[in-house]
Amino acid sequence: MAAPEVHHLFHNPIADHSFSADHKTLAVARDTAVELYAKVGNVFKLKDELKGHDKTVTSIDIAPNSGRIVSCSQDRNALVWEPTPQGYKPTLVLLRINRAATFVRWSPSETKFAVGSGDRLIAVCYFEEENDWWVSKHLKKPIRSTITTVAWHPNSVLLAAGSTDAHARVFSSFIKGVDARPEPTAWGERLPFNTVCGEYMNNSAGWVHSVAFSPSGDALAFAAHDSSITVVYPSAPEQPPKAVISINTQLLPFMSLIWNGEAEIIAAGYDCEAFRFRGGIDGWQLSGAVETKGRPGLGDQREESALNMFRQMDLKGKVKDDTQLKTVHQNTITMIRPYEASGDAVKKFSSSGVDGRIVIWTV
Amino acid sequence: MSIIREHTQATLSDAWRTINIDTLQEDSSVNFDTATLRPPQPEVSEADVRQLQAQVRQLLRGGDPEGALRGCLEAPAYGGNDLAREAALQTVIEVLQSIKASDMTPMLQRIYGSPGGSECLDVLMKYLYKGMAATSSSTGGAPRTPTRMTPQPTGFSQIGPRPGGSAESTGAAMSVLLSWHEKVVEVAGLGCIGRVMTDWRRV
Repeated sequence: MAAPEVHHLFHNPIADHSFSADHKTLAVARDTAVELYAKVGNVFKLKDELKGHDKTVTSIDIAPNSGRIVSCSQDRNALVWEPTPQGYKPTLVLLRINRAATFVRWSPSETKFAVGSGDRLIAVCYFEEENDWWVSKHLKKPIRSTITTVAWHPNSVLLAAGSTDAHARVFSSFIKGVDARPEPTAWGERLPFNTVCGEYMNNSAGWVHSVAFSPSGDALAFAAHDSSITVVYPSAPEQPPKAVISINTQLLPFMSLIWNGEAEIIAAGYDCEAFRFRGGIDGWQLSGAVETKGRPGLGDQREESALNMFRQMDLKGKVKDDTQLKTVHQNTITMIRPYEASGDAVKKFSSSGVDGRIVIWTV
Repeated sequence: MSIIREHTQATLSDAWRTINIDTLQEDSSVNFDTATLRPPQPEVSEADVRQLQAQVRQLLRGGDPEGALRGCLEAPAYGGNDLAREAALQTVIEVLQSIKASDMTPMLQRIYGSPGGSECLDVLMKYLYKGMAATSSSTGGAPRTPTRMTPQPTGFSQIGPRPGGSAESTGAAMSVLLSWHEKVVEVAGLGCIGRVMTDWRRV
Protein backbone atom coordinates (compact mmCIF):
# COMPACT_ATOMS: atom_id res chain seq x y z
CA MET A 1 0.00 0.00 0.00
CA ALA A 2 1.23 3.44 -0.89
CA ALA A 3 2.15 5.70 1.99
CA PRO A 4 -0.49 8.30 2.87
CA GLU A 5 -0.01 11.86 1.69
CA VAL A 6 0.11 14.09 4.77
CA HIS A 7 -0.48 17.83 4.70
CA HIS A 8 -0.12 19.58 8.02
CA LEU A 9 -1.84 22.89 7.33
CA PHE A 10 -1.90 24.60 10.72
CA HIS A 11 -2.32 23.99 14.42
CA ASN A 12 -6.08 24.51 14.61
CA PRO A 13 -8.88 21.98 14.39
CA ILE A 14 -10.36 21.39 10.95
CA ALA A 15 -14.12 21.05 11.24
CA ASP A 16 -14.64 20.00 7.64
CA HIS A 17 -12.76 19.89 4.36
CA SER A 18 -13.62 19.52 0.72
CA PHE A 19 -11.60 19.07 -2.46
CA SER A 20 -12.58 20.50 -5.81
CA ALA A 21 -13.22 17.93 -8.55
CA ASP A 22 -9.76 18.48 -10.10
CA HIS A 23 -8.11 18.11 -6.64
CA LYS A 24 -6.24 21.41 -7.15
CA THR A 25 -8.24 23.36 -4.59
CA LEU A 26 -8.80 22.35 -1.02
CA ALA A 27 -11.28 24.20 1.17
CA VAL A 28 -11.03 23.83 4.94
CA ALA A 29 -13.17 25.28 7.70
CA ARG A 30 -10.87 27.02 10.14
CA ASP A 31 -12.40 29.00 12.96
CA THR A 32 -14.66 31.69 11.43
CA ALA A 33 -13.20 31.56 7.91
CA VAL A 34 -13.08 29.19 5.00
CA GLU A 35 -9.52 28.83 3.79
CA LEU A 36 -8.76 27.86 0.23
CA TYR A 37 -5.51 26.05 -0.46
CA ALA A 38 -4.05 25.53 -3.92
CA LYS A 39 -1.76 22.67 -4.78
CA VAL A 40 1.72 23.93 -5.67
CA GLY A 41 3.99 21.00 -6.45
CA ASN A 42 3.42 18.57 -3.62
CA VAL A 43 2.22 20.98 -0.99
CA PHE A 44 -0.92 23.00 -0.39
CA LYS A 45 -0.39 26.78 -0.20
CA LEU A 46 -2.93 29.21 1.22
CA LYS A 47 -4.54 30.96 -1.74
CA ASP A 48 -7.61 32.71 -0.46
CA GLU A 49 -9.56 33.27 2.68
CA LEU A 50 -13.33 33.50 2.49
CA LYS A 51 -14.55 35.70 5.32
CA GLY A 52 -18.26 36.12 5.72
CA HIS A 53 -19.20 34.30 8.87
CA ASP A 54 -18.74 35.80 12.30
CA LYS A 55 -18.88 32.55 14.27
CA THR A 56 -17.22 29.17 13.88
CA VAL A 57 -17.71 27.64 10.46
CA THR A 58 -19.11 24.17 11.04
CA SER A 59 -19.22 22.66 7.57
CA ILE A 60 -18.31 23.31 3.94
CA ASP A 61 -18.88 21.59 0.65
CA ILE A 62 -17.63 22.24 -2.89
CA ALA A 63 -20.01 21.26 -5.68
CA PRO A 64 -17.87 19.15 -8.03
CA ASN A 65 -19.31 20.43 -11.32
CA SER A 66 -20.27 24.06 -10.71
CA GLY A 67 -17.38 24.77 -8.33
CA ARG A 68 -19.71 26.62 -5.96
CA ILE A 69 -18.79 26.43 -2.31
CA VAL A 70 -21.42 26.34 0.39
CA SER A 71 -20.47 27.03 3.99
CA CYS A 72 -22.52 27.15 7.17
CA SER A 73 -21.72 28.42 10.60
CA GLN A 74 -22.80 28.76 14.19
CA ASP A 75 -23.90 32.31 13.28
CA ARG A 76 -27.03 30.58 11.85
CA ASN A 77 -26.21 31.48 8.27
CA ALA A 78 -25.21 29.62 5.16
CA LEU A 79 -23.30 31.29 2.34
CA VAL A 80 -22.95 30.16 -1.25
CA TRP A 81 -19.64 31.27 -2.73
CA GLU A 82 -19.85 31.67 -6.48
CA PRO A 83 -16.55 31.50 -8.37
CA THR A 84 -16.07 34.60 -10.54
CA PRO A 85 -12.98 35.94 -12.32
CA GLN A 86 -12.63 38.47 -9.46
CA GLY A 87 -12.68 35.79 -6.82
CA TYR A 88 -15.47 34.19 -4.82
CA LYS A 89 -18.68 36.17 -4.42
CA PRO A 90 -20.81 35.27 -1.35
CA THR A 91 -24.59 35.05 -1.38
CA LEU A 92 -26.48 34.81 1.87
CA VAL A 93 -29.06 32.04 2.11
CA LEU A 94 -32.18 32.64 4.17
CA LEU A 95 -32.22 29.61 6.45
CA ARG A 96 -34.80 30.94 8.94
CA ILE A 97 -33.27 29.06 11.86
CA ASN A 98 -32.52 30.42 15.32
CA ARG A 99 -29.83 27.97 16.35
CA ALA A 100 -26.44 27.11 14.88
CA ALA A 101 -26.20 25.52 11.47
CA THR A 102 -24.22 22.32 11.95
CA PHE A 103 -23.79 20.55 8.64
CA VAL A 104 -24.20 21.26 4.94
CA ARG A 105 -24.03 19.14 1.79
CA TRP A 106 -24.83 19.73 -1.89
CA SER A 107 -27.22 17.27 -3.47
CA PRO A 108 -25.65 15.22 -6.29
CA SER A 109 -27.72 17.27 -8.77
CA GLU A 110 -26.12 20.44 -7.31
CA THR A 111 -29.43 22.31 -7.52
CA LYS A 112 -30.13 21.98 -3.81
CA PHE A 113 -28.30 21.70 -0.56
CA ALA A 114 -29.36 20.63 2.90
CA VAL A 115 -28.35 22.37 6.11
CA GLY A 116 -28.70 20.58 9.44
CA SER A 117 -29.17 22.74 12.50
CA GLY A 118 -29.53 22.89 16.24
CA ASP A 119 -33.04 24.20 15.67
CA ARG A 120 -34.34 20.63 15.31
CA LEU A 121 -34.83 20.96 11.58
CA ILE A 122 -33.13 20.59 8.24
CA ALA A 123 -33.28 23.48 5.80
CA VAL A 124 -33.42 22.26 2.21
CA CYS A 125 -32.26 25.18 0.08
CA TYR A 126 -32.76 25.77 -3.62
CA PHE A 127 -32.32 28.71 -5.98
CA GLU A 128 -35.42 30.60 -7.03
CA GLU A 129 -34.79 32.15 -10.43
CA GLU A 130 -37.61 34.70 -10.36
CA ASN A 131 -36.55 36.19 -7.04
CA ASP A 132 -32.85 35.61 -7.69
CA TRP A 133 -32.08 34.21 -4.28
CA TRP A 134 -31.70 31.01 -2.35
CA VAL A 135 -34.75 29.99 -0.37
CA SER A 136 -35.22 27.17 2.07
CA LYS A 137 -37.94 24.71 3.01
CA HIS A 138 -37.87 23.09 6.42
CA LEU A 139 -37.89 19.39 7.21
CA LYS A 140 -39.23 19.49 10.74
CA LYS A 141 -41.21 16.46 11.78
CA PRO A 142 -40.40 14.26 13.65
CA ILE A 143 -36.96 15.63 14.55
CA ARG A 144 -36.62 16.11 18.30
CA SER A 145 -33.05 17.31 18.62
CA THR A 146 -30.01 18.79 16.88
CA ILE A 147 -29.20 17.44 13.44
CA THR A 148 -25.54 16.48 13.43
CA THR A 149 -25.14 15.17 9.92
CA VAL A 150 -26.91 14.77 6.57
CA ALA A 151 -26.22 12.67 3.48
CA TRP A 152 -27.83 12.59 0.04
CA HIS A 153 -29.21 9.63 -1.84
CA PRO A 154 -27.88 9.42 -5.44
CA ASN A 155 -31.34 10.46 -6.73
CA SER A 156 -31.04 13.89 -5.02
CA VAL A 157 -34.49 13.53 -3.47
CA LEU A 158 -33.95 11.28 -0.49
CA LEU A 159 -31.96 12.72 2.36
CA ALA A 160 -30.59 10.86 5.37
CA ALA A 161 -30.03 12.73 8.61
CA GLY A 162 -28.51 11.80 11.95
CA SER A 163 -29.54 13.52 15.12
CA THR A 164 -28.70 13.78 18.80
CA ASP A 165 -32.10 12.26 19.55
CA ALA A 166 -30.31 9.03 18.53
CA HIS A 167 -32.31 8.48 15.34
CA ALA A 168 -31.07 8.20 11.80
CA ARG A 169 -33.91 9.15 9.49
CA VAL A 170 -34.55 9.13 5.77
CA PHE A 171 -36.64 11.99 4.43
CA SER A 172 -37.92 13.04 1.07
CA SER A 173 -36.77 16.52 0.10
CA PHE A 174 -38.69 16.61 -3.18
CA ILE A 175 -39.16 20.16 -4.43
CA LYS A 176 -41.56 20.80 -7.27
CA GLY A 177 -39.96 22.52 -10.21
CA VAL A 178 -36.44 21.69 -9.06
CA ASP A 179 -36.46 17.90 -8.96
CA ALA A 180 -37.64 15.44 -11.54
CA ARG A 181 -40.01 12.81 -10.19
CA PRO A 182 -37.70 10.12 -8.80
CA GLU A 183 -37.86 6.44 -9.70
CA PRO A 184 -39.51 4.37 -6.97
CA THR A 185 -36.95 2.80 -4.64
CA ALA A 186 -37.05 0.50 -1.66
CA TRP A 187 -37.38 3.63 0.47
CA GLY A 188 -40.61 4.84 -1.08
CA GLU A 189 -42.67 5.34 -4.21
CA ARG A 190 -44.60 8.58 -3.82
CA LEU A 191 -42.38 11.09 -2.14
CA PRO A 192 -43.94 14.47 -1.33
CA PHE A 193 -41.76 16.84 0.70
CA ASN A 194 -41.14 15.76 4.31
CA THR A 195 -42.20 12.14 3.83
CA VAL A 196 -40.41 10.12 6.51
CA CYS A 197 -39.18 7.00 4.68
CA GLY A 198 -37.44 5.42 7.61
CA GLU A 199 -36.53 6.02 11.21
CA TYR A 200 -33.84 3.91 12.86
CA MET A 201 -31.99 3.74 16.13
CA ASN A 202 -29.64 1.20 17.63
CA ASN A 203 -30.08 -0.63 20.92
CA SER A 204 -28.15 1.64 23.20
CA ALA A 205 -29.40 4.79 21.48
CA GLY A 206 -26.16 6.65 21.09
CA TRP A 207 -26.51 9.95 19.25
CA VAL A 208 -25.62 9.78 15.58
CA HIS A 209 -22.37 11.26 14.25
CA SER A 210 -22.46 10.30 10.61
CA VAL A 211 -24.80 8.80 8.01
CA ALA A 212 -24.16 7.57 4.46
CA PHE A 213 -26.11 5.88 1.68
CA SER A 214 -24.41 3.02 -0.13
CA PRO A 215 -23.41 3.80 -3.75
CA SER A 216 -26.64 2.21 -5.07
CA GLY A 217 -28.67 4.05 -2.45
CA ASP A 218 -30.30 0.81 -1.29
CA ALA A 219 -28.61 0.66 2.09
CA LEU A 220 -27.94 3.19 4.82
CA ALA A 221 -25.10 3.15 7.33
CA PHE A 222 -24.78 5.31 10.40
CA ALA A 223 -22.18 5.69 13.12
CA ALA A 224 -23.27 6.48 16.65
CA HIS A 225 -21.63 7.55 19.87
CA ASP A 226 -21.82 4.05 21.34
CA SER A 227 -18.79 3.06 19.19
CA SER A 228 -21.02 1.21 16.78
CA ILE A 229 -21.98 1.38 13.17
CA THR A 230 -25.40 0.25 12.00
CA VAL A 231 -26.34 -0.78 8.48
CA VAL A 232 -29.98 -0.74 7.39
CA TYR A 233 -31.33 -2.61 4.37
CA PRO A 234 -34.86 -1.44 3.52
CA SER A 235 -37.28 -3.96 2.00
CA ALA A 236 -40.19 -2.00 0.58
CA PRO A 237 -42.03 1.25 1.34
CA GLU A 238 -43.94 1.19 4.64
CA GLN A 239 -42.47 -2.22 5.49
CA PRO A 240 -39.99 -3.05 8.24
CA PRO A 241 -36.44 -3.22 6.87
CA LYS A 242 -35.01 -6.48 5.56
CA ALA A 243 -32.11 -6.25 7.95
CA VAL A 244 -30.71 -3.86 10.54
CA ILE A 245 -27.18 -4.86 11.48
CA SER A 246 -25.39 -3.20 14.38
CA ILE A 247 -21.70 -3.76 14.97
CA ASN A 248 -20.44 -2.78 18.41
CA THR A 249 -16.69 -2.29 18.48
CA GLN A 250 -14.00 -2.21 21.13
CA LEU A 251 -12.90 1.16 19.77
CA LEU A 252 -13.80 4.75 20.52
CA PRO A 253 -16.75 6.25 18.60
CA PHE A 254 -16.59 7.03 14.88
CA MET A 255 -17.17 10.55 13.65
CA SER A 256 -17.45 9.91 9.95
CA LEU A 257 -18.01 7.02 7.58
CA ILE A 258 -18.02 6.41 3.82
CA TRP A 259 -18.98 3.43 1.66
CA ASN A 260 -16.45 1.76 -0.59
CA GLY A 261 -18.63 -0.25 -2.96
CA GLU A 262 -21.55 -2.12 -1.41
CA ALA A 263 -19.48 -4.46 0.73
CA GLU A 264 -17.08 -2.19 2.57
CA ILE A 265 -17.43 0.78 4.90
CA ILE A 266 -14.55 2.95 6.07
CA ALA A 267 -15.07 4.75 9.37
CA ALA A 268 -12.82 7.02 11.43
CA GLY A 269 -13.14 9.09 14.57
CA TYR A 270 -11.83 9.40 18.09
CA ASP A 271 -9.24 6.66 17.61
CA CYS A 272 -7.40 8.98 15.19
CA GLU A 273 -7.28 6.38 12.44
CA ALA A 274 -9.59 4.81 9.90
CA PHE A 275 -11.03 1.30 10.11
CA ARG A 276 -12.59 -0.99 7.55
CA PHE A 277 -15.81 -2.90 7.95
CA ARG A 278 -16.69 -5.65 5.51
CA GLY A 279 -19.91 -7.51 4.99
CA GLY A 280 -23.32 -7.48 3.39
CA ILE A 281 -26.94 -8.12 4.20
CA ASP A 282 -26.01 -11.29 6.12
CA GLY A 283 -23.72 -9.53 8.54
CA TRP A 284 -20.92 -7.06 8.93
CA GLN A 285 -17.69 -7.14 10.83
CA LEU A 286 -14.70 -4.99 11.63
CA SER A 287 -11.85 -6.18 9.45
CA GLY A 288 -9.03 -3.97 10.64
CA ALA A 289 -7.30 -0.62 10.41
CA VAL A 290 -6.57 1.12 7.12
CA GLU A 291 -3.28 2.40 8.42
CA THR A 292 -0.31 0.04 8.60
CA LYS A 293 1.49 0.64 11.85
CA GLY A 294 5.22 0.72 12.29
CA ARG A 295 5.88 2.00 8.80
CA PRO A 296 9.50 3.01 8.33
CA GLY A 297 9.94 6.73 8.63
CA LEU A 298 7.37 7.19 11.36
CA GLY A 299 8.50 7.47 14.93
CA ASP A 300 11.69 5.41 14.82
CA GLN A 301 13.53 7.58 12.35
CA ARG A 302 16.12 8.68 14.89
CA GLU A 303 19.15 6.51 15.44
CA GLU A 304 19.10 5.30 19.02
CA SER A 305 22.45 6.42 20.31
CA ALA A 306 23.62 6.00 23.88
CA LEU A 307 23.90 9.76 24.11
CA ASN A 308 20.33 10.18 23.01
CA MET A 309 19.16 7.58 25.46
CA PHE A 310 20.81 9.28 28.41
CA ARG A 311 19.57 12.65 27.22
CA GLN A 312 16.01 11.33 27.20
CA MET A 313 16.50 9.81 30.62
CA ASP A 314 17.81 13.09 31.92
CA LEU A 315 15.13 15.29 30.35
CA LYS A 316 12.05 13.17 30.69
CA GLY A 317 12.94 10.40 33.08
CA LYS A 318 12.29 7.73 30.47
CA VAL A 319 14.10 6.27 27.50
CA LYS A 320 11.28 6.21 24.98
CA ASP A 321 9.57 9.38 23.87
CA ASP A 322 5.91 8.40 23.88
CA THR A 323 4.24 11.78 23.46
CA GLN A 324 3.38 10.97 19.84
CA LEU A 325 0.52 8.74 18.79
CA LYS A 326 1.48 5.92 16.47
CA THR A 327 -1.15 7.07 14.00
CA VAL A 328 -0.66 9.74 11.33
CA HIS A 329 -3.41 11.91 12.75
CA GLN A 330 -2.46 13.10 16.21
CA ASN A 331 -6.02 13.88 17.23
CA THR A 332 -9.62 12.98 16.44
CA ILE A 333 -10.53 12.62 12.78
CA THR A 334 -13.52 14.87 12.14
CA MET A 335 -14.38 14.02 8.55
CA ILE A 336 -13.50 11.53 5.86
CA ARG A 337 -14.49 11.94 2.23
CA PRO A 338 -13.92 9.99 -0.97
CA TYR A 339 -11.04 11.55 -2.90
CA GLU A 340 -10.63 9.40 -5.97
CA ALA A 341 -13.06 6.74 -7.13
CA SER A 342 -13.50 4.40 -10.04
CA GLY A 343 -17.14 3.47 -10.40
CA ASP A 344 -18.47 2.68 -6.95
CA ALA A 345 -15.12 1.76 -5.47
CA VAL A 346 -13.13 4.36 -3.58
CA LYS A 347 -9.44 4.31 -4.54
CA LYS A 348 -8.35 7.16 -2.30
CA PHE A 349 -10.02 9.02 0.50
CA SER A 350 -9.10 12.11 2.45
CA SER A 351 -9.40 12.78 6.17
CA SER A 352 -9.21 15.91 8.28
CA GLY A 353 -8.61 16.11 11.98
CA VAL A 354 -8.55 18.23 15.08
CA ASP A 355 -4.75 18.22 14.70
CA GLY A 356 -4.92 20.46 11.60
CA ARG A 357 -3.83 17.71 9.22
CA ILE A 358 -5.34 16.68 5.90
CA VAL A 359 -4.30 13.17 4.90
CA ILE A 360 -4.96 11.41 1.61
CA TRP A 361 -5.12 7.64 1.99
CA THR A 362 -4.86 4.91 -0.60
CA VAL A 363 -7.43 2.21 0.08
CA MET B 1 -36.90 50.44 22.25
CA SER B 2 -33.54 49.39 21.02
CA ILE B 3 -31.74 46.83 23.09
CA ILE B 4 -28.40 47.98 21.81
CA ARG B 5 -28.94 51.56 22.96
CA GLU B 6 -29.55 50.34 26.49
CA HIS B 7 -26.17 48.66 26.65
CA THR B 8 -23.92 51.01 28.51
CA GLN B 9 -20.90 49.78 30.42
CA ALA B 10 -22.91 49.68 33.63
CA THR B 11 -25.78 47.61 32.28
CA LEU B 12 -23.62 45.32 30.19
CA SER B 13 -24.24 42.16 32.16
CA ASP B 14 -24.74 38.64 31.03
CA ALA B 15 -27.83 38.01 33.12
CA TRP B 16 -29.91 37.53 29.98
CA ARG B 17 -27.78 34.51 29.21
CA THR B 18 -29.27 32.69 32.17
CA ILE B 19 -32.79 32.82 30.73
CA ASN B 20 -33.69 29.33 29.62
CA ILE B 21 -35.18 30.13 26.25
CA ASP B 22 -35.91 26.46 25.63
CA THR B 23 -38.87 26.61 27.99
CA LEU B 24 -40.42 29.30 25.81
CA GLN B 25 -40.53 27.04 22.78
CA GLU B 26 -43.37 24.63 22.62
CA ASP B 27 -41.66 21.72 20.88
CA SER B 28 -38.30 21.92 22.64
CA SER B 29 -36.91 19.00 24.58
CA VAL B 30 -37.76 20.45 28.00
CA ASN B 31 -41.43 20.48 27.06
CA PHE B 32 -41.83 16.82 26.23
CA ASP B 33 -40.77 13.57 27.78
CA THR B 34 -37.59 12.39 26.06
CA ALA B 35 -38.40 8.83 27.12
CA THR B 36 -41.08 8.81 24.43
CA LEU B 37 -38.30 8.74 21.82
CA ARG B 38 -37.31 5.24 22.84
CA PRO B 39 -39.13 1.94 22.91
CA PRO B 40 -40.42 1.15 26.42
CA GLN B 41 -38.73 -1.50 28.53
CA PRO B 42 -40.62 -4.50 29.89
CA GLU B 43 -41.48 -4.19 33.55
CA VAL B 44 -39.38 -6.33 35.88
CA SER B 45 -40.74 -7.00 39.35
CA GLU B 46 -38.73 -7.77 42.43
CA ALA B 47 -40.19 -11.28 42.46
CA ASP B 48 -38.75 -11.95 38.97
CA VAL B 49 -35.35 -10.83 40.16
CA ARG B 50 -35.57 -13.00 43.27
CA GLN B 51 -36.46 -15.97 41.12
CA LEU B 52 -33.48 -15.31 38.88
CA GLN B 53 -31.34 -14.92 41.96
CA ALA B 54 -32.39 -18.38 43.16
CA GLN B 55 -31.59 -19.93 39.78
CA VAL B 56 -28.23 -18.21 39.67
CA ARG B 57 -27.37 -19.41 43.16
CA GLN B 58 -28.24 -22.93 42.14
CA LEU B 59 -25.92 -22.70 39.15
CA LEU B 60 -23.18 -21.36 41.43
CA ARG B 61 -23.60 -24.28 43.83
CA GLY B 62 -23.59 -26.61 40.86
CA GLY B 63 -20.15 -25.32 39.91
CA ASP B 64 -21.15 -23.38 36.81
CA PRO B 65 -20.14 -19.77 37.52
CA GLU B 66 -20.05 -18.92 33.82
CA GLY B 67 -23.64 -20.02 33.37
CA ALA B 68 -24.57 -18.05 36.48
CA LEU B 69 -22.87 -14.92 35.17
CA ARG B 70 -24.45 -15.24 31.74
CA GLY B 71 -27.81 -15.88 33.34
CA CYS B 72 -27.85 -12.59 35.20
CA LEU B 73 -26.31 -10.58 32.35
CA GLU B 74 -28.82 -11.79 29.79
CA ALA B 75 -31.75 -10.59 31.87
CA PRO B 76 -30.77 -7.12 33.10
CA ALA B 77 -33.33 -5.37 35.30
CA TYR B 78 -33.83 -2.38 33.01
CA GLY B 79 -37.50 -1.80 33.68
CA GLY B 80 -37.59 -2.55 37.41
CA ASN B 81 -38.15 -0.41 40.43
CA ASP B 82 -35.35 0.48 42.85
CA LEU B 83 -35.75 -2.66 44.94
CA ALA B 84 -35.64 -4.96 41.92
CA ARG B 85 -32.57 -3.20 40.56
CA GLU B 86 -30.84 -3.38 43.91
CA ALA B 87 -31.54 -7.12 44.13
CA ALA B 88 -30.23 -7.64 40.58
CA LEU B 89 -27.04 -5.77 41.41
CA GLN B 90 -26.69 -7.90 44.51
CA THR B 91 -26.98 -11.07 42.45
CA VAL B 92 -24.32 -9.96 40.00
CA ILE B 93 -21.90 -8.96 42.76
CA GLU B 94 -22.43 -12.32 44.45
CA VAL B 95 -21.50 -14.12 41.24
CA LEU B 96 -18.50 -11.88 40.62
CA GLN B 97 -17.17 -12.46 44.12
CA SER B 98 -17.42 -16.21 43.69
CA ILE B 99 -15.25 -16.33 40.55
CA LYS B 100 -11.49 -16.84 40.93
CA ALA B 101 -9.18 -14.15 39.60
CA SER B 102 -7.43 -16.58 37.26
CA ASP B 103 -10.75 -17.57 35.64
CA MET B 104 -11.87 -14.03 34.86
CA THR B 105 -10.14 -13.33 31.56
CA PRO B 106 -10.79 -16.70 29.87
CA MET B 107 -14.42 -16.55 30.95
CA LEU B 108 -14.87 -13.01 29.63
CA GLN B 109 -13.23 -13.96 26.36
CA ARG B 110 -15.58 -16.93 25.97
CA ILE B 111 -18.59 -14.74 26.66
CA TYR B 112 -17.35 -11.99 24.31
CA GLY B 113 -16.76 -14.50 21.53
CA SER B 114 -20.23 -16.01 21.78
CA PRO B 115 -23.23 -14.49 19.99
CA GLY B 116 -24.62 -11.52 21.91
CA GLY B 117 -21.51 -11.53 24.06
CA SER B 118 -20.58 -7.92 23.45
CA GLU B 119 -24.00 -6.88 24.76
CA CYS B 120 -23.49 -9.08 27.85
CA LEU B 121 -20.19 -7.42 28.71
CA ASP B 122 -21.78 -3.99 28.29
CA VAL B 123 -24.38 -5.03 30.84
CA LEU B 124 -21.64 -6.34 33.15
CA MET B 125 -19.88 -2.98 32.86
CA LYS B 126 -23.08 -1.19 33.82
CA TYR B 127 -23.36 -3.34 36.94
CA LEU B 128 -19.71 -2.68 37.79
CA TYR B 129 -20.21 1.07 37.67
CA LYS B 130 -23.44 0.85 39.60
CA GLY B 131 -21.73 -1.34 42.16
CA MET B 132 -18.91 1.13 42.56
CA ALA B 133 -21.36 3.98 43.00
CA ALA B 134 -23.25 2.00 45.63
CA THR B 135 -20.22 0.88 47.62
CA SER B 136 -18.60 4.29 47.61
CA SER B 137 -21.70 6.17 48.71
CA SER B 138 -23.17 3.83 51.28
CA THR B 139 -22.02 4.49 54.80
CA GLY B 140 -23.10 1.09 56.08
CA GLY B 141 -20.67 -0.59 53.76
CA ALA B 142 -23.06 -3.38 52.93
CA PRO B 143 -24.25 -2.77 49.39
CA ARG B 144 -27.39 -4.55 50.43
CA THR B 145 -29.07 -1.50 51.89
CA PRO B 146 -30.86 0.65 49.36
CA THR B 147 -28.30 3.32 48.64
CA ARG B 148 -30.01 6.54 47.94
CA MET B 149 -27.72 8.65 50.07
CA THR B 150 -25.64 11.57 49.02
CA PRO B 151 -21.97 10.73 48.49
CA GLN B 152 -19.60 11.45 51.34
CA PRO B 153 -17.83 14.76 51.05
CA THR B 154 -14.60 12.88 51.64
CA GLY B 155 -14.91 11.29 48.22
CA PHE B 156 -13.48 7.84 47.80
CA SER B 157 -11.83 7.58 51.16
CA GLN B 158 -12.95 4.43 52.90
CA ILE B 159 -11.04 5.23 56.07
CA GLY B 160 -13.08 6.69 58.85
CA PRO B 161 -15.14 5.91 61.90
CA ARG B 162 -17.37 3.20 60.50
CA PRO B 163 -19.27 0.60 62.44
CA GLY B 164 -17.30 -2.58 62.97
CA GLY B 165 -15.34 -3.81 60.01
CA SER B 166 -17.60 -2.35 57.33
CA ALA B 167 -14.74 -0.35 55.86
CA GLU B 168 -12.89 -3.54 55.05
CA SER B 169 -15.91 -5.18 53.47
CA THR B 170 -16.59 -2.12 51.32
CA GLY B 171 -12.96 -2.02 50.35
CA ALA B 172 -13.05 -5.70 49.46
CA ALA B 173 -16.19 -5.27 47.35
CA MET B 174 -14.60 -2.34 45.60
CA SER B 175 -11.41 -4.22 44.86
CA VAL B 176 -13.40 -7.07 43.30
CA LEU B 177 -15.26 -4.59 41.12
CA LEU B 178 -12.07 -2.79 40.12
CA SER B 179 -10.28 -5.96 39.10
CA TRP B 180 -13.32 -7.02 37.04
CA HIS B 181 -13.41 -3.57 35.47
CA GLU B 182 -9.81 -3.92 34.36
CA LYS B 183 -10.46 -7.36 32.85
CA VAL B 184 -13.62 -6.26 31.04
CA VAL B 185 -11.81 -3.31 29.46
CA GLU B 186 -9.05 -5.67 28.32
CA VAL B 187 -11.58 -7.85 26.54
CA ALA B 188 -14.30 -5.45 25.37
CA GLY B 189 -12.16 -2.35 24.89
CA LEU B 190 -12.83 1.30 25.64
CA GLY B 191 -15.92 1.12 23.46
CA CYS B 192 -17.56 -0.76 26.29
CA ILE B 193 -17.14 2.18 28.70
CA GLY B 194 -18.41 4.57 26.04
CA ARG B 195 -21.51 2.46 25.56
CA VAL B 196 -22.25 2.40 29.28
CA MET B 197 -22.10 6.18 29.39
CA THR B 198 -24.16 6.55 26.22
CA ASP B 199 -26.80 3.96 26.92
CA TRP B 200 -30.18 5.15 28.19
CA ARG B 201 -31.06 1.72 29.60
CA ARG B 202 -29.85 1.80 33.19
CA VAL B 203 -29.47 -1.23 35.39
